Amino acid sequence: MSAPPVGIVGGGNFGWGLAHAVERAGREALLWSRRPQRTGTEHIDLVSGPAALAACELIFFAVPSPYVASIARELGAHLDGGHFLVHISRGVVGDDLHGLTQVLRSETPCRRVGALAGPLVAEALITGGPSGGVVASRFPEVRAAVREAIGGPLLRLYSTDDVTGAEFASTAVGLFATAIGFAQGHGLGPAAQAMLATRAMAEAARIGVVLGGKHETFMGLAGFGDLLAAVAGDERPELAIGRAIAENQPFEAIGSIGGTYFEGLESAGRIAAYTRRVKLHSPVITLCAGAFAREIPASEAVAALMSREVGEE
Amino acid sequence: MLARPMRSIVHRLLSRPLRLPAMFGPKPQPGDPQIFRFNSEREEIITEVVRRTEEHFAADPKRLLYALNEAGHAEIRRLAGQGDAEADLALGSWRRLVKRLGKMSHEERSDSLRSISRVMVEDIAGNFDPRVYNLSARLIPGVLTAVMNPMGLPTQLLAGGFSQLDALISAEGPIDKLRRLAQIGTLVLVPTHSSNLDSVALGYVLLRANLPPVVYGAGRNLFSNPLISFFMHNLGAYRVDRRVSAAVYKEALKTYSCLMVERGYHSLFFPGGTRSRSGTIERRLKLGLAGTAVEAFSRNQTNGLHRPVFFVPATLNYALVLEAETLIEDHLKGAGQARYIIDDDEFSRIDRIYAFMTKLVTLRSALVVRFGDAMDPFCNPVDDEGRSIAPSGQPVDPGSYVRRRGVPSVDPARDAGYTRELGDAIARVYQRETVIIWTQLVAHVLYRYLVWSTPELDLFSRQRRRGEVAMPREQLVREVADARDRLLQAEAEGRVHVGPVLRSQSPERIVSEALSAWRDYHTKVVATEVGDDVLIEDPNLLLFYQNRLLPWAEELATEETLAAARSIVNQGGKA
Repeated sequence: MSAPPVGIVGGGNFGWGLAHAVERAGREALLWSRRPQRTGTEHIDLVSGPAALAACELIFFAVPSPYVASIARELGAHLDGGHFLVHISRGVVGDDLHGLTQVLRSETPCRRVGALAGPLVAEALITGGPSGGVVASRFPEVRAAVREAIGGPLLRLYSTDDVTGAEFASTAVGLFATAIGFAQGHGLGPAAQAMLATRAMAEAARIGVVLGGKHETFMGLAGFGDLLAAVAGDERPELAIGRAIAENQPFEAIGSIGGTYFEGLESAGRIAAYTRRVKLHSPVITLCAGAFAREIPASEAVAALMSREVGEE
Repeated sequence: MLARPMRSIVHRLLSRPLRLPAMFGPKPQPGDPQIFRFNSEREEIITEVVRRTEEHFAADPKRLLYALNEAGHAEIRRLAGQGDAEADLALGSWRRLVKRLGKMSHEERSDSLRSISRVMVEDIAGNFDPRVYNLSARLIPGVLTAVMNPMGLPTQLLAGGFSQLDALISAEGPIDKLRRLAQIGTLVLVPTHSSNLDSVALGYVLLRANLPPVVYGAGRNLFSNPLISFFMHNLGAYRVDRRVSAAVYKEALKTYSCLMVERGYHSLFFPGGTRSRSGTIERRLKLGLAGTAVEAFSRNQTNGLHRPVFFVPATLNYALVLEAETLIEDHLKGAGQARYIIDDDEFSRIDRIYAFMTKLVTLRSALVVRFGDAMDPFCNPVDDEGRSIAPSGQPVDPGSYVRRRGVPSVDPARDAGYTRELGDAIARVYQRETVIIWTQLVAHVLYRYLVWSTPELDLFSRQRRRGEVAMPREQLVREVADARDRLLQAEAEGRVHVGPVLRSQSPERIVSEALSAWRDYHTKVVATEVGDDVLIEDPNLLLFYQNRLLPWAEELATEETLAAARSIVNQGGKA
């Protein structure tokens, strides 16, 4: 029995990157996008509606997090318990900071769900350059299906069952990349950036553990691995957004750099509210939330970060 | 084969379940629940459990040797600690086995495993006698009423019913629908666990609601009383010996419970594992044996049998908890290392059960059992016809969850994933279907006052403040009234339920009855009225009862009490 096609929802860079990775792995890809922007290839079929994706077993969600729920609802009407859904979005939902796998579960009949996290970038997926990531799912067969669909010698995919940790780490990295861009915009050097990144990740890990994740996930590809890629300059928009915030550019101008600004703004606010509620110490994320929303002047945010009391690591 | 230890007649009477002679037993009728056929299937079930247990271990010689060694050493350790005559005999058998293991052939080891698991499964397997069921159906209300209030028995009999017991225990939720679902598939009840009385109370509620009886695993300590053991054993309970840690035993137990669901026996599991030590509603459920119901569904699908399995979460909400004093003490002592098995609590003392029952019977709605809506093993709601319903509102085939590319399979790793999801879903239902009882609300308001008065203290320092903080009674009544209004608002939004007494009585009376209920049952004084004040005497019991309200503590608070409520919530998470 031949392997079924792999579905991809979303026609942005990541959606196309995944489709090319599927093609390279010798599988058929079905890509559904309201604005596909490009034309299909021999092994990448553009489909006009969600119904066609019912033929797939594994379906990737490569859409910005605010759209995941509505698209999942539309697609869910055509799926059943046999489908596997895996998203690549950063973001948390609700007061209790649920990951987007929860959205996939509540909007579709699918339960075998997962998240793809880590330093994967669209460019490497498209060109087939060396890259890697981590696939998180409570279901070993989902983790195996993702590796079969896009993995290969140059795309190393590790796996974990810590979905909560991987999703939260991925969201936190988005915020911290912005914070590092912000620090760069203020002329802070490598040592200060490293300090910020390290303390921020320790903070994210503390929150992640309270949410039910594992500390080591934050020290792996989904956490530090991803953040290192951002700092090393993999051209993700968050750094540019951070620098634009530091320069006090208007909201609209920052938003035009990438939709991730608005996602980050929302996530930072949610996480800060959560840590206030459960009394978790989260100075970096709280400052991120304030600075992103322009409630704290940029100069004050930097001063506040540097003037914090020094304690045991 | 391992020699069975000799037992004295007295010991046998105390430890082996009694059964009525099999002759002249009634034949099951069409439409009877599956459990009415249990005795005719019992041997077949035991044989199948032994076969599967052997298959699990014996396929790999290394695994088999390890399992026998592990069982041998675990049992030797346990029995050596037990130190009685019965243990000594069994100890000899295990020691001989461990000694011989290295020289045995694979076949001999398989034989040993088969013998060991046979003994274990015989010990686990329950019994069901329709005569005992019918007898208890007639007797339980009378017996319970007689125990609780002997003076009331003649009146009740003359009146032709047991309205007192009906008033004592109320049942809420979609009971008609559950009755229908029981005809379509297998019910798996997954209630919260507060007390050893839970299974008895649930059994009574099922009987009264004309719902079928359920099988369930009961701790071996519950079988120590011959009378209780007789009823439990003959009403479908199977024995779980938590002292036995051997992997072979755990596998046999899991296989037994799986097979029961597979064969359509309605089942009961406490997915929290043990009774809630802190009094909180269970938030993170491991499911344990309940997870075997997911495997049972997969196995049936793989064998072409499309019998649905319906998980039914339920909350048991007591005005007084029989074992409250022991449970909270254990919780505070351990805070994470609490004893898994408590065999010296109030449940083991007849005088405490009597005191509990006599107090309980004076209360209306002393226990509210609330059933939640049924869900399939994959967390989908089910409709009145037992169909699984997707978020789109369309039916979804539950069999699709255990198929891969169209082929159904039994996959323990996959089913473990479903089980975790199910645990999360059941925990969410628990919160929504919790019924807040008046004692809990009064405890919460008093405890919040204690926290408000002692903001500088940590949990353990605060719990030592006995008889030091008094709350003006008038303020207590006012805050109870305010908190009740807020709870009613949460209920209107579908986030919790308010018990009948709390809803209908005046706040003044609610406070008086709570103080009286605690005074008459608990050996420790919880709170006393001193002049116009209520003096907090036992913060531990207040903590226990109020912990049930943790998820709503913040929204029940006023601006002035919010900081205290937050402190309780945070403390609840840590302790």
